[in-house]
Amino acid sequence: MMTNFQNVDEYGRREFIAHAAKACLGVGLMPMAGSYIHDSVKALTPGARPAAARHVIYLNMTGAMSHLDTFAPQIDNPKLMHDVKAIPTSADGVVLSENLPLTAQHMHNASVIKTMVSSQGAHQQASYLMHTSYLQRGTIVHPTFGSWVAKLSGQINRTIPMNVKIGGGGGGAGFLEAKYGALPIGRPGEGLANSKMASYLDDTMFQNRIAAAEKLNVNFTAEYPQKQVRAYSDLYRDAIKLMKSEDLNAFDINKEPESMKELYGTTNFGQGCLLARRLIEHKVRYVEVTRGGWDTHDDNFNRVAANCVDIDKALSGLLLDLEMRGLLKETLVVLTSEFGRTPVPNGRDGRDHWPYCFSAFLAGGGIKGGVMYGDVDETGRSPIAGKPIKPEDLNATIAYALGLPLKDVQYSPSGRPFTIAHNGEPLFDVLA
Amino acid sequence: MENHFSTYLPNRNEMMGKGLLSLLIASFLFSSLLANEPFRVFKTPSGKSFEGKVVGYEGQTFILTNKSNQLFQVPFNALSNADKAYLVEGVKANRIPKGRPSPTSTAVTTGAKGVDFHSEIMPILQQRCNDCHKAPYEENGRTKKPKAGLRFDSYEWLMKGNDGGAIIEAGDTDASILFEVITLPPDDDMIMPPKGDPLTADQIDLFRRWILEGATEKPSGKVAPETVAETSPTKESKDESEMDDTIRKAPPKKKQTFRPGSFFAHVVVPLGVSPDEALAKIQGSKPKPGEAIDFDRHVLPILEERCNSCHHAPFDRSGRLVNPKASLRFDSFAEVMKGNLDGPVIVPNDLEKSRLYSVLNLPEDNDLFMPPKGGPMNQEQKDVIKRWIEEGAQPSKNTVSATKGGIPAPDEPVSFTNHILPLLEKRCLNCHGEPYVKNGRTIKPTAGLQLDTYEMVMKGNLDGTIVSSGDPTVSTLYQVVILPDDDPELMPPKGDPLTEDERTMIKRWILEGAGEQPAAEAADPNAVPKPKEKKELASGTVDAKLSVLDVLAKRVSVPSKTQIQAAQKTYALVTQLSERNPLLRAEFSSFAGEIDDTAIGALGGIKNNISHLDFSRTRMTDVAMRAAGGMQHLTWLSARNTLVTDNGLKSLSPLKFISYLNLSGTKITDRGLKDLYPMKTLKEIYLWGSEVSENGVKDLRSALPDAKILF
Repeated sequence: MMTNFQNVDEYGRREFIAHAAKACLGVGLMPMAGSYIHDSVKALTPGARPAAARHVIYLNMTGAMSHLDTFAPQIDNPKLMHDVKAIPTSADGVVLSENLPLTAQHMHNASVIKTMVSSQGAHQQASYLMHTSYLQRGTIVHPTFGSWVAKLSGQINRTIPMNVKIGGGGGGAGFLEAKYGALPIGRPGEGLANSKMASYLDDTMFQNRIAAAEKLNVNFTAEYPQKQVRAYSDLYRDAIKLMKSEDLNAFDINKEPESMKELYGTTNFGQGCLLARRLIEHKVRYVEVTRGGWDTHDDNFNRVAANCVDIDKALSGLLLDLEMRGLLKETLVVLTSEFGRTPVPNGRDGRDHWPYCFSAFLAGGGIKGGVMYGDVDETGRSPIAGKPIKPEDLNATIAYALGLPLKDVQYSPSGRPFTIAHNGEPLFDVLA
Repeated sequence: MENHFSTYLPNRNEMMGKGLLSLLIASFLFSSLLANEPFRVFKTPSGKSFEGKVVGYEGQTFILTNKSNQLFQVPFNALSNADKAYLVEGVKANRIPKGRPSPTSTAVTTGAKGVDFHSEIMPILQQRCNDCHKAPYEENGRTKKPKAGLRFDSYEWLMKGNDGGAIIEAGDTDASILFEVITLPPDDDMIMPPKGDPLTADQIDLFRRWILEGATEKPSGKVAPETVAETSPTKESKDESEMDDTIRKAPPKKKQTFRPGSFFAHVVVPLGVSPDEALAKIQGSKPKPGEAIDFDRHVLPILEERCNSCHHAPFDRSGRLVNPKASLRFDSFAEVMKGNLDGPVIVPNDLEKSRLYSVLNLPEDNDLFMPPKGGPMNQEQKDVIKRWIEEGAQPSKNTVSATKGGIPAPDEPVSFTNHILPLLEKRCLNCHGEPYVKNGRTIKPTAGLQLDTYEMVMKGNLDGTIVSSGDPTVSTLYQVVILPDDDPELMPPKGDPLTEDERTMIKRWILEGAGEQPAAEAADPNAVPKPKEKKELASGTVDAKLSVLDVLAKRVSVPSKTQIQAAQKTYALVTQLSERNPLLRAEFSSFAGEIDDTAIGALGGIKNNISHLDFSRTRMTDVAMRAAGGMQHLTWLSARNTLVTDNGLKSLSPLKFISYLNLSGTKITDRGLKDLYPMKTLKEIYLWGSEVSENGVKDLRSALPDAKILF
């Protein structure tokens, strides 16, 4: 309900036209076309620094990934680790858990922050904090990080949205303009819904309708030969163009060869990562891929190992694929979770919630390779070396790599000031 | 109908917490006045009844009292006809007195000597204080505690005070915090009550008398003297604020004075200070004729005596920070020179602009006349300040390093905190301060250069650092302040240029190592600088600290909006690399599949600015590669998934800075790779999905051993 009320403000002429077009013309991709008439001025406004990375793929492990059994294993500590071993990686002095053998070969391109901390120990609140850098409040909906990135960095490819979220909802623009919010894609294999011409509408009929609309507009456009008026007819033209555009293919992973699908793994998450790569190729700014199933209160060790088969293959496939295409240089890949899990297993061989220490994996554009930041004491409970890195610090680090102005203030409808990473400080130790 | 019998409270507050005492007094009073009126049953037309007797009336409202002496007011019309008739008769016969029963307090105080706590102080507390300072109570399931832990709902609680101690000191208004806070000026943060009007002069006087009389629960029998104001016959004609002042203030404490020659009257001389100097400092403000005015010895004592009670350093009073008035502090040289948001109050050599001096000479009835209390400064004091300004408003000679601002002596090392920073604050921070938000827009420091801390000064901006420790000749900070007066680049751009002394000070600071802490030894600003080896900037090889992009950025000018718009005609997106970097990134990402070689022509006008070119996924061919070859500052080129061929690579040979080349998904073969052999600047080459062979890549690797080559 909250979101709906706030959207009322956002429902400007542009959206109205877009929705009207959708209703009258059968043009299905209008929400995106609405963002097509972007203010190119914004895109022209350069960031504070040259951007080291231009795109983000954010792999969100929901349910709280066990950091000990993945990116921050304890060495020779069977009390905490049971029989999960640490393995060497392609970077000197960096170890990962044996659950991630493929990812280990990419650590020379990646950093791991071992000292992540969160103030929230419940999934929803912690996830909200990770995504928005602000604590959840009843009075406001904060923009998600992807929306901030879209807002502050602008659109590169004007034919598709800037911000996409694969698997799972959320990703809303909060009080920012709705067009910066994430386009949700439920299942990667199904691509983008409602983007094809309606089946009952053959090409002649469609052309007739467009012609009729233009005829109706003749007098109006003659009377008001203004830029804004022309922009609306451009909107129709571009939307039609887009329906036939090859950029729609970006959403269709069936265009990929089987070998590529194999590389990422045929799971939902693997295919989501493949779709993310396709979108990045088409210059989408921010893609989040969600993978659940980490809330391992019992049978932690088997379930994490099973999950890791999936994410290890998908993550290493993604890094390899981006690298081969020369895209890793400008794409920042993040993998993290809303918090970690208790170092000491509970009575059911499970691990419970642990926000006091967890880890984040960063790779690619703007990130130093082979860095293991910080250290954790031998009880695995809390950081002993390195700064504690809060969610806002992580987001500030990503925003810094993207060259975005950390101090740029955006105002909510009630006039309160907000910034992209809520005064978080970039962690320069992991930035190249 | 029942609400017609709403409780009538003679003085609402008197009833609430006071309890039996006032009731007894009230009942005594009323029963003696109205002995004739009997108790009877009053009825309403709806049948409700109430037993009581009438004690007075006012207009259509009758005041009744019941057997337990509670008072009620009843509208005439709410009563039954029989009652109405009875009341009319009573009024006609003068049995029922006109008017409400008068408050009890006056009756009591006239009886006993001194202020009575329960009838005079308590009502004020109840009315004005008990909203916040009362017993803890529950609201919405939460226990609300009294503010500041202070409860004023009984004598005991009032005298108890809170954790910070008692708030009433019997017999001493000055030491009674309660009295202090109710007598503060109305705009003070601490004034109590914080809401509504301040207590009236009469109420304050009650408190004053009560405290002076011993702050007892029962009247003490003593009677405190009236204040001057109350007996003054000209009270009415006096200015209101003045009147308030005299009433609020407790009788002034006697200032301790010592007989001349007594032990205590001697000056305390700190160890290591010459007794003459210490004496001069205390006896202070009288410079010998012909002696230059010294700030610490002559000016500061005057300020301390006449200004510092308002223009003091912020201090903590009862947990609240008390800030100086008008944000002006006159407790040290640096603070005096700092002025406030309206600007400096001292302009050396300029009496008219020196507000500190001009306010002393205003007519006394002017609002801005200073000091507002205690009469004007005497002529001698004014003269000292005047002479000090005329002599240049210099700091004391012997205390420069301890105070901020000013110029260090030639043999004293320059301190960043005490010398450089105050100068920057004075002359640079208007433009080079911290970013701030104004009207919803973030105002950033000019040129991305922030000079408000040591770190920021040393950091410089995207053009590089501005301070090169030990070498003023390459330190931009120094170079821009010593330019000729008519040079447009001279800093500060507004106001006078820096003085020779200030310039020398910056130069010396840099020569001394530009540290945050002062160096051990002062440097000689006139010494001949050591010749330094200049690094040759060969094409492609750059200073490790500066990236290629930073260097190239200096070679091109900022493109105009028109140029960029022209370049974007063909669906290209052209963006500046960053705010401060005029290099451009040009990419053809929208509708890429429909873009062919004709589109690249639009970039011609900005080709020297382009450092990043991305035409991946378009239908561009070797023609576009030829255009790219003409972009002399290109560092990054993506021709991924395009129609370029081996012939196109030949066109890239003029590129002297290119480090990233993406040819994946093209028709490039081993033959074309040979053209890349001489391009030693290449660091990354992507050939995946092209038609090169393993052998071809092997040869390329041996030609470019440092490059990362993926295929």
